[in-house]
Amino acid sequence: MTRTPMFRASATAVLASASLLLAACGGSTGTSSGGSGSAAAGDCASKEVLCVGLVTDLGKVDDKSFNQSAHEGVEAAIKELGGQSKVVETVDTKDYANNIKQFTDKKYDVVVTVGFLMAEATATAAKENPDTHFIGVDQFQETEIPNVTGLVFPEDQAGYAAGYLAGSISTSGKIGQVLGMQIPPVEKYAKGYEAGAKAARPDVQVTTVYHPAGDNAFTDPAWGAAEAKKQLDQGIDVVFAAGGKTGNGALSEVAKASTAGTTTYCIGVDTDQWLTVNDAHKCLVTSATKDMTLGTTDLIKQVNDGTVKGGNFTGKAGLAPYHDFESKVPADVQTKVAEIVTGLQDGSIQTGVTLG
Amino acid sequence: MASPDVAPPPSLPSAPELPPKGRRTLWDVAAHFQAFIVPLVALAVAFAIGAVLIRAQGVNPGYAYTSLFTAALGSSSGLLRTLQKATPLVLAGLAVAVALRAGLFNIGAQGQLLFGSLAAAWAGFALGSLPAVLLIPVCMAVGVLAGALWGGIAGLLKATRGVHEVISTIMLNSIAAGIIDYFISGPMKEQGQAIPRTPAIAEQARIGELGFIPVGFILAVLLAVAMAWVLKRTTLGFQFETVGANRFAAEYAGMRIPVVVTAAMLLSGGLAGLGGAIETLGVSHRFESGLSAGLGFDGITIALLARANPIATIPAALLVGVLRAGAPSLQFDTGIQPEVVDMLLAITLLLVSIPLLAKLIFRRRAEAGVAVTSGWGN
Repeated sequence: MTRTPMFRASATAVLASASLLLAACGGSTGTSSGGSGSAAAGDCASKEVLCVGLVTDLGKVDDKSFNQSAHEGVEAAIKELGGQSKVVETVDTKDYANNIKQFTDKKYDVVVTVGFLMAEATATAAKENPDTHFIGVDQFQETEIPNVTGLVFPEDQAGYAAGYLAGSISTSGKIGQVLGMQIPPVEKYAKGYEAGAKAARPDVQVTTVYHPAGDNAFTDPAWGAAEAKKQLDQGIDVVFAAGGKTGNGALSEVAKASTAGTTTYCIGVDTDQWLTVNDAHKCLVTSATKDMTLGTTDLIKQVNDGTVKGGNFTGKAGLAPYHDFESKVPADVQTKVAEIVTGLQDGSIQTGVTLG
Repeated sequence: MASPDVAPPPSLPSAPELPPKGRRTLWDVAAHFQAFIVPLVALAVAFAIGAVLIRAQGVNPGYAYTSLFTAALGSSSGLLRTLQKATPLVLAGLAVAVALRAGLFNIGAQGQLLFGSLAAAWAGFALGSLPAVLLIPVCMAVGVLAGALWGGIAGLLKATRGVHEVISTIMLNSIAAGIIDYFISGPMKEQGQAIPRTPAIAEQARIGELGFIPVGFILAVLLAVAMAWVLKRTTLGFQFETVGANRFAAEYAGMRIPVVVTAAMLLSGGLAGLGGAIETLGVSHRFESGLSAGLGFDGITIALLARANPIATIPAALLVGVLRAGAPSLQFDTGIQPEVVDMLLAITLLLVSIPLLAKLIFRRRAEAGVAVTSGWGN
């Protein structure tokens, strides 16, 4: 068959017009599965409908740790209170303000901004939109803005407990941590981990590495894996991975070691990563957690019933269950770690962590 | 450095000659302009494929695309954001395109852009007592210098030691990331600030916008025109083109290849550095860790979409700018993840870069695809 120019022209035209055809055969609103909340789009400007927006930091709502926890908190609140929620995922940090604006333009009642790096954009947006309440996850408020609540956590306590466990189960006396960008929430985990490890075993050597500051600091699993490998090669046998997807890469790498789960361990972060990072099951003893899901839900409820206050709201931090390692971690270590966690919560044990 | 194999064909395809006037058909004319037609068809196909995928997620593609384009083009604030996003992309695209014309594949626009941006942030803060008329040009100049320096290293390595620029620029990107991390976490870090970033630049160093058109965008467009002129009308441009087309012929003609290669990388790096500087002066007003957002790599996409034509980097960058500026609204309105935009770009780029589409449409009259490098080891 010889293809004439005419044939080729029409073939091209068919392809080009396919998009129009597809567009025509769809529904008229296009919102059938829009957003993550209920399909019935209520009027967010009215007081009756609770509208919650979430802006992620770089990284996705399914990042298995940080953004995902906050998102689950939003969904839990909506499930309980009714209303609707939507998500905008940030792909460029210069878009923070514009992404928040998506929600304030539509008069959303609550906007959750996830991550320390968004603190400035959140504060600016809050001043421009006094009728919207902002929940800034990990954003410590130095000066109070009435319509911003910073959801903050004692990460140093979770890190301390994880470090105490790491120091106790390490056979080589060398432990490590692979971290995201050096910003206060991450640094608090890291310093807590070091302090906890030294409390368990004063001669412990702790190797700490932060991802270079850059737009991929929390989304660089390849770097996380490479650093974890390096640490394992140096004889480190417990790796604490704290840094979104960067950390997940480190966890998966440690799980690949031949001694994973027998003499080599890893510790996850933010959420119970046993439930989110299946690759890491071979080495994941526990995770140093901060309950962003519960904290976010609680604050949305407070906004809904009008009891919310500006300033800071401290959420819970601690350790996740051991899961399959329940039987492998010695009973006396488990008892001791449980005592530490209680002591940290009631204030009888101080982590001694200060930033600066 | 010398390699025995025969030099590859020119990296820039030229349009087929038009037949004499009497026997000219519409198709001949179309084939002559295929450099314009192929990208447009590629874009249409990409949007059609995108429509299928959007449809598969239960969203009306027409509604999704309307939301995307309305956000990017439907208001003056949307236009401003689109043009702000396009500005560094034009320059990064130019950087890659100019190097391509000289037969060099500069993967290092990212690192060069970052250095330009950091240098401008430093000058904008440290020399903050200068008046605007001095400060802005100085900031841009140090940005250009920093980018040119970083690009020039790869050029010099290629010229003197025969190190392939793809390898050296990739490595220089990583080195740049490390050095920049050191500066913004250490000596250049803003006092009393927990985030690694430099202090804000002086007020008078900031370049704003005229209506919805950023001043930086105007500069970028002027430079694209200037680059087209340089390539077409100057000795330097002629040398770039000749070395890019056939370095052996160029050498035989008496051109000093090492000098031309180094000059091309200096110019390429300088353009990328200026892109970074304008981003600092016009948008972020400081250097911060998320500043680049892969702009240098987008430059490669743009240069290839533009087929290394300086003027064509403007529409290519505008396309990327529109898509990126509209993506958040797309997600807000339809729940579709912003990555769909990268998918559209990737499909378009694939269709433009491989000669398949041109062959399908124009058959024998199809141009060769854009060869991106002059091959390994030479």
